[in-house]
Amino acid sequence: MVVGEVATGVDMLVVGGGPGGYATALRAAAAGRTVTLVERDRIGGVCLNVGCIPSKALIHVADTAGLPAEAAAIGVDLEATVDLDRAQSWIGDVVGRLTGGVEQLLRDAGVTVVTGSARFATARRMAVTSGDDAAFFEFGSVVLATGSRPVELATLPFDGHRVLDSTAALALRQVPGELTVVGGGYIGVELGGAFAKLGSQVTIVELADQVLPGMPLGLARVLERALRARGVTIRLGTKVIGRDGDDLVVEGPTGEARLPLGATVDAGTGGAGGRVGGPIGGSDGLVVVAVGRRPNTDSLGLPGAGVRIDADGRIVVAADRRAAPDVFAIGDITAGPALAHKATAEAEVAVIAAGGGRAAFDPATIPAVVFSDPQVATVGLTAEQATEAGAGAISFRFPLSASGRAVTLARPEGYVEIVAERGGAGGGTVLGVHMVGAGVAELAAEAALAVEMGATLEDVALTIAPHPTLSETLAEAAMGALGRPLHVRRRKETSGP
Amino acid sequence: MARVEFALPDVGEGLEEGEIVSWLIGPGDTVVRDQPLVEVQTDKALVELPSPVAGQVVSLAFAPGDIVKVGQTLVVLEDGHGGDTAPAPVPGAAAPAVGRPKAAPAVRKLAVDRGVDLGTITGTGPAGRILASDVEAAAARPPATGVHLPPMAPKTNAGWEAPDSGVHLPSPERKTNAGSTDGLGWMEPGRHPLRGIRRVTAEAMRRSWSEIPHLTTLDEVDATGLLAVRRRLADAGIDTTIGALLVAAVARGLRRYPLLNASLEPAPTDDAPGGSAGSIVVHPDRNIGLAVATADGLVVPVIRNADQRGLADLAAEVRRLTAAARDRRVDVADLRGGTFTISNYGAFGGRFATPIIRPPEVGIMGFGAIRPRPFVVDGEVKARPTLPWALSADHRLIDGDVATAFAEYVTGLLADPIALLAELLVAGPGR
Repeated sequence: MVVGEVATGVDMLVVGGGPGGYATALRAAAAGRTVTLVERDRIGGVCLNVGCIPSKALIHVADTAGLPAEAAAIGVDLEATVDLDRAQSWIGDVVGRLTGGVEQLLRDAGVTVVTGSARFATARRMAVTSGDDAAFFEFGSVVLATGSRPVELATLPFDGHRVLDSTAALALRQVPGELTVVGGGYIGVELGGAFAKLGSQVTIVELADQVLPGMPLGLARVLERALRARGVTIRLGTKVIGRDGDDLVVEGPTGEARLPLGATVDAGTGGAGGRVGGPIGGSDGLVVVAVGRRPNTDSLGLPGAGVRIDADGRIVVAADRRAAPDVFAIGDITAGPALAHKATAEAEVAVIAAGGGRAAFDPATIPAVVFSDPQVATVGLTAEQATEAGAGAISFRFPLSASGRAVTLARPEGYVEIVAERGGAGGGTVLGVHMVGAGVAELAAEAALAVEMGATLEDVALTIAPHPTLSETLAEAAMGALGRPLHVRRRKETSGP
Repeated sequence: MARVEFALPDVGEGLEEGEIVSWLIGPGDTVVRDQPLVEVQTDKALVELPSPVAGQVVSLAFAPGDIVKVGQTLVVLEDGHGGDTAPAPVPGAAAPAVGRPKAAPAVRKLAVDRGVDLGTITGTGPAGRILASDVEAAAARPPATGVHLPPMAPKTNAGWEAPDSGVHLPSPERKTNAGSTDGLGWMEPGRHPLRGIRRVTAEAMRRSWSEIPHLTTLDEVDATGLLAVRRRLADAGIDTTIGALLVAAVARGLRRYPLLNASLEPAPTDDAPGGSAGSIVVHPDRNIGLAVATADGLVVPVIRNADQRGLADLAAEVRRLTAAARDRRVDVADLRGGTFTISNYGAFGGRFATPIIRPPEVGIMGFGAIRPRPFVVDGEVKARPTLPWALSADHRLIDGDVATAFAEYVTGLLADPIALLAELLVAGPGR
């Protein structure tokens, strides 16, 4: 240790103020620990400041702007004019309200918040630097929750001007005339879909043969169809080679191609059934790169703390999220999906373990939702995964076109598919639910509850859902899997092996 | 494998029939689930129909231009469920739910807390679901690995990693657990197999008690200086704990009195008449074992070359080993080669104890809880934090004078920790 370094002794140190970190701090404080939380930027982390929350707010703006296109078909004529600058002020209010709430909760819980970047000085001591200032904290236990950041493509580096990351794209104050989105994952389809409704001419470039790679193909196909119907160009199996001036050079199934990024386009063009507002500036054609996220573990000084990382830079943890005797890690910096609700759930486990108790993070499922239009939600196993895992699986897709609620909302596209173990008492345990359609994100929690509780198909089928709601579709799908569909014809091909 | 007949589906829009526009696959083709098979023109739109399964195309029932009614078979597929056609794992899926014990999240949390393996329980709930009451019942039974103990108290309250104050107090959590029916000292009436750590402990203690004539000496020492030094070191940013200071002091004692760091080896049995009666082996390294209470029983991980290490190093090693022992993930290598043992029985309260030697070692030193007690200071009885200690030695090898001299030296360093620090600084490691 360095002579002259004076360390402040703290009981529990939390590094990172996002959904994992602040939940840890609140839970630990409630458990009687004295908590110090280190955040280098803003409380709330990516999720509240530049991720989930502002993107959902922007999507709400876009959905509202997109209403005229849908309303005309049901006899309502609307006109929309988008003022993205004003919308951003509202989005800022939303973010401020939520982060302010979290800050207040931390204050009420007696959590000390320190601003700075943390790095292990020794296995028991954290150096926190802010500008030229450095402070040292010697901790009883530490929970790392430093999150992740967008991956940069070597072939297409961010320049903050024409090539943006998702954070910069969310902060745009003018609607770009043309927007090329590199990466058709959940961030890409959410952003691309939203800007298409706001009036941009959107192209999505994706390396895989489907959008939402890794998610069930059926869900992706419904979404691709809807995006294309809205004027979005989707180029699958296409790789970005680089940028050449105003062109994006890509290589797709039909060979190399040049995609013009788009120069200045006249204000007032674009879809969404209305005029887009305001003058559009010089960098009218923009590229957003959203090809994944990288864990923020490289600047933590982990080797000095005896903490191991895997090939992807993620911290190796035990079931109780322990990475070293008194070091715990949660959220995007550990294996598993980089989702806020995973980090929050892991916080509960880490706090118990750091207090000397036994705990394990072993959810049956971590649901994932995509706020595209239509929405996509996936919970638990697909039929293929269940079969691979050795279960005789049965599945049934209930089309939303047969749902009274979906039809009255004029949104009949999509389906709800339930996957269960074949046979057994009560028709087999529900293993997964996979959905695509307007509003299905809100059905994910009920599906997750069924999977976590080990509900059977009969349990789901016999649970009365109020009519007419989208939630009926879950029971309808369960009835179908039991061989007695109610609102659709019995389909031969679901009999399977 | 099974034949699947894919019929023109009712897509719920009042569709009665459609016209085959073109086939996107042919007989013999391998398809993945949701791969488009055919384009069908309905009265509303041109739709692509995706494959309901992964597998192989057996035959096509219609040709382009044909009109097909809803429910009529379009194509026959061989359902392959091939592994290579399955999509990558869904990012949202956690561990496969297949084959998991059927238990709700709250029940799973309870099981982890109670140290109960859900895989060993038969659920009594609907469809064999495991209920909280099933877990409680299982926790009250002895697990196969040995005696069931409640989870260790949080380390901030007890144990080797002494609290900042250095005062060992039994934790309230522990009391709560000890009072419950499934806690410390609980076992169901009936006959239970002797297994695991409990069996090993039983054998070692039997051997020790029947072979080793124990002599035990005990007293207590004023811990005021020890607590002050711990605080001063912490203020100076030096990482240490009371546990590390105890190990450091005992290690100095072993260096000065090597006889306590020895083993008595009996003669091989076939070498009895006229041969050696056995030998005394004095160990060159001072490897100090720490007795750690775990849910399965006592585990004794070893700090190698304890006399060669600085305080921060000792503190880190104590932490590492006790945490590993508590989590039952301690390396076998860390359990071997001990030459002397320290027990901090005071972590659970108590003043004096008579520690039992772990053969083939010849000594064990235990420390009680630091608490305010009456103590004579300058001829007056005052309340002082005192550290009770007890040393047991193998009387075959060690007489009372040696045991007492060792104990006086070690506890002298603890009473006057400046002397201990001086030893560490001046004599330094590596002597």
